[in-house]
Amino acid sequence: MLPNEHGRINVSIQRMSEIYNGRQYIIRIVFMIAALFLIGKTMHLQIFDQSIKDRARTSAIQKKVLYPSRGLIYDRHGELMIYNDPIYDLMVTYNQLDPDMDTSYLCEILDIEKDQFIENIEKNWKSPRYSKAVPFIFQKKIPTETYAKLQESLYEYPGFSIQLRVIRGYPDTIGAHLLGYISEVNRKQIDNNKDIYALGDYIGSTGLEGTYEEYLRGKKGMEYLLKDNLGRVVGPYLEGALDSMAVSGKNLITGIDQELQRYAESLMQNKLGSIVAIEPATGEILAMVSAPTYNPNLLVVNNKRGKIYQEMQSDSLKPLYNRTVLAKYPPGSLFKPIVGLIGMQEEVWNANQGFGCGGSYLNVNHYMGCHQHEHPRNMQVALQHSCNSYFLALFREIIDKEGYHNPREGLDRFNAYLEAFGLGNPLGMDFNGEKHGNLPTSALYDRMYPNGRWRSPTIISVGIGQGEIELTTPQMANLAAILANRGYYFRPHIVKEFENDTTQIDLKYRTPITIPIDPIHYDPIVDGMERVVSMGTAYKAYTPGITVCGKTGTAENPHGKDHSIFYGFAPKEQPQIAIAVYLENAGFGGTFAAPIASLMIEKYIKGEINPNRKYLEQQMMDADLISVP
Amino acid sequence: MSRRRQSGIESVDWIIFSLYLSLVGVGWCMIYSVGYGDGYPSSRIDFLTQTSVGKQTIFVGLSLVIMLFTLVIDWKFWRTFAYLVYGAAMASLVGVLIIGKNIKGATSWYALPGGFSLQPSEFAKFATCLAIAAFLSTYSTNLRFSRSQFISIGIILFPPALILLQPDAGSALIFFSFFILLFREGMPVFPYIIAFALGSIFILGLSFEPLSVILGLFFIGIFILVLNLKNYKWYGMGISLIWILSSIIAFQNGFVLYTFVANIIAVLGLSILQWRSRLERIAVLVTGGVLIGSTLIFTTNYAFNNFLRPHQQDRINVWLNPEKCDPQGSLYNVLQSKLAIGSGGIQGKGFLEGTMTKLNYVPEQVTDFIFCTVGEEQGFIGSFLVIILFLALLQRLVTVAERQRSAFARQYAYGVAGIIFIHFFINIGMTMSLMPIIGIPLPFISYGGSSLMGFTLMIGVLLKLDANRYAI
Repeated sequence: MLPNEHGRINVSIQRMSEIYNGRQYIIRIVFMIAALFLIGKTMHLQIFDQSIKDRARTSAIQKKVLYPSRGLIYDRHGELMIYNDPIYDLMVTYNQLDPDMDTSYLCEILDIEKDQFIENIEKNWKSPRYSKAVPFIFQKKIPTETYAKLQESLYEYPGFSIQLRVIRGYPDTIGAHLLGYISEVNRKQIDNNKDIYALGDYIGSTGLEGTYEEYLRGKKGMEYLLKDNLGRVVGPYLEGALDSMAVSGKNLITGIDQELQRYAESLMQNKLGSIVAIEPATGEILAMVSAPTYNPNLLVVNNKRGKIYQEMQSDSLKPLYNRTVLAKYPPGSLFKPIVGLIGMQEEVWNANQGFGCGGSYLNVNHYMGCHQHEHPRNMQVALQHSCNSYFLALFREIIDKEGYHNPREGLDRFNAYLEAFGLGNPLGMDFNGEKHGNLPTSALYDRMYPNGRWRSPTIISVGIGQGEIELTTPQMANLAAILANRGYYFRPHIVKEFENDTTQIDLKYRTPITIPIDPIHYDPIVDGMERVVSMGTAYKAYTPGITVCGKTGTAENPHGKDHSIFYGFAPKEQPQIAIAVYLENAGFGGTFAAPIASLMIEKYIKGEINPNRKYLEQQMMDADLISVP
Repeated sequence: MSRRRQSGIESVDWIIFSLYLSLVGVGWCMIYSVGYGDGYPSSRIDFLTQTSVGKQTIFVGLSLVIMLFTLVIDWKFWRTFAYLVYGAAMASLVGVLIIGKNIKGATSWYALPGGFSLQPSEFAKFATCLAIAAFLSTYSTNLRFSRSQFISIGIILFPPALILLQPDAGSALIFFSFFILLFREGMPVFPYIIAFALGSIFILGLSFEPLSVILGLFFIGIFILVLNLKNYKWYGMGISLIWILSSIIAFQNGFVLYTFVANIIAVLGLSILQWRSRLERIAVLVTGGVLIGSTLIFTTNYAFNNFLRPHQQDRINVWLNPEKCDPQGSLYNVLQSKLAIGSGGIQGKGFLEGTMTKLNYVPEQVTDFIFCTVGEEQGFIGSFLVIILFLALLQRLVTVAERQRSAFARQYAYGVAGIIFIHFFINIGMTMSLMPIIGIPLPFISYGGSSLMGFTLMIGVLLKLDANRYAI
């Protein structure tokens, strides 16, 4: 190129560039606007759009809850009473669902209709129960075969995952009321313990499951997993720094003798009532039966449970009703040894005192019936024959100690003794829902008979365990334990220790409680109770080789036939078992309650039933006290 | 002018050079971070030859050599041999179709020994930039005349025609960036407006129901006509607002046909009114615009549904109608990319701490989707800074272009600015679905030797020309 040509080009270019000079600003502005668009979009994605962030988190890092295994429950010999059974829940995370996916095969595996599928997925998103980003249960309790099929094809359905959970299994069909059941947590329970329970968790509802929930449940763990684009887990997040292990629940070792419990339940079949057996030296409960009972496997968490539960609830025999702790019964003649003890301690009576019984007791102007028996020349004989007149008279002496017109002082003192015997208040067992029973308090009578118009004859039926006094079966068994121990007891409890754990059971179960009654007064009572079995009202309970001490009771009640009652302990010296048997509407105490108790005692102490008594065992097991009106 | 004839390295524009180095540095770090999750080999040789970041280290080294080379070569070389370079580049584009290596369905690569490969289209951009600048700077060229317009468009569109044969639509698209240069050099504005309008109609027609878009066109038409009324303008405005509102309500409630008939009558009536008020041009323009626009909307939709192949439709749908797409299918890549960027938040997860970009969530994570790593690890602060670095570079390129005394140098600088701009906007835009997914790298940052060296060559030559701007 020539120099002058250069010059000319320059001139022309100068002009051209001057004409369109302004266009550089348009270009600059276009660049700026484009950059602003990009900045705006990054701002939107990274700062404002929360859903993107949530989604990014859930699709990259999967939080996996590690469920602890629930504590097991053993009997006193280390036999398993409850074990754990794995079940599978199909979970779904709404945000991760692919709206276009073909779910017909999934529906086929799960055996559900398309409508059901949609219903399972579309939750009420306004409700705080559900979040689109949090997995919720799509279908619960998937059978193992379905689980195997599902696992193969689950990768085709993003958003779905399987959650392993553990439910309860029972090696035997016994102890339903005692063990209790687990059920799904409700909203209130979740709200009260947000960091413990989440939707779909199980919680112990009743029985030991409910009472020891805190120990049994363990602690959930959390695992943070990194997932790649195909949803494959590639490894722990932050090398597992945030992970926490699940801590298994504590295993409970109970004082229950599974063999005895099973035996008691077989004896109680087709009967209404309850049995509580206690080891007097420790207060450990050996067996606790409420009849009718049910097979605990029926209430295992599965698809049929809801229906079965409803059926049982509408059953007129109330199999779900736990009679051992919830039912309050009049003690009837079981009360007599206690009245006798209080009379002797109050020094208004002594053991050698007799009382003329002509088959009835004249109370003010009407007779209270007694039955045909030899002359109650002392406490022992009176107990042996369960003489009403004797104890009515004794009771009046206690009440009228301050004079006929001052029954209040006498009754208050009487009630103070009863409270010391563990009556009137819940025993404080390790079992939820225990009732307290009723005491015949002066306040109660003041309400019934205003202006102090009550005297010892008014309330006299209390003296033979009728009227305003009501006890629960554990309270009766505990009275037997007090008599066995001659004056003290350990608060009855079911769990004796935690397996492989230094935690001890509550101090209140390890501290003896002494009854404010002089130990010498127990001897005539215990002797009398021995006579009851050996040659008295409970002769059917006589067990060769074991000195059983006991007392029958026959409680009148407004619901029909009398209740058949027995409590006692054995052997007489160094007793191993104290027991209370309460049979609703079964008649005389010596007919059913006493033989059943004696069979229990023999089974526990000897391990087997004497062949001579097999007929009795058969008779008791066969007895059907329900279908007879 | 001889008094300031400095042409050495000391007169290089240090702003552009340092922006260039920063972007390359950011890119290297991001590539390092992506590969970090798999662990790096301890042997230095393995690191350099087996890992992306190792190879990128080599590319950076080579790029610096190229940079030095461009600064040493005489500035006149590029202008003198511009057409020769262009010719060579075209030859290489033809050659690659014959002896090239096919990667992922496109024959875009020359296989080199040592597992490396070369992408001639990256160098074609540079060559075309030189050639168009050389052509525009000749005395006889004047973009006001159609002869010059046709030749320049020919120079620009010849390489993408060859590239489309590979096929590599993304790289081909880049060449349209030269229209920015043509605009600056005096190309008439009208075609740009038409192109913009067509583009908008195309996008709107595909993003929304065609009928609603056409109705919108009618409304715009009515509004323009009413604005130009001689009398009762304000009454007219009020009535037309009510008219538009009631049309929308009628349309929403299913009276589609009635709404359209009423609107056609309204447009025609208003046009006749304008015509009689001797405003023929407006009447014709508006009626014609509405008619042509409506036809175009229908045509684009028809063409979209009948002429485009499903995977091409998918690309457009992912961009404009993500709700219609399969999140696990066509939408997957861009969704994961958005998730990765979004998960960074304001501060980001921190260098080397990104999880989604390391775990194959994001496709092409070191090349086309490298911005995801920036977004995830450096958060909004990092993304903002990278965008600002690019904007600063672009603005500086315009400044540098405008200070050239030589038309060739100015036009070359605009060409470079245009190419970098289009890469920058489309690449970052596509990672956030602001743009359709087009497989082009992010300049200086993406992994890849051809791309990095191609851009280095562009910047190097520009720095050399600028350093000698007083030499002319």
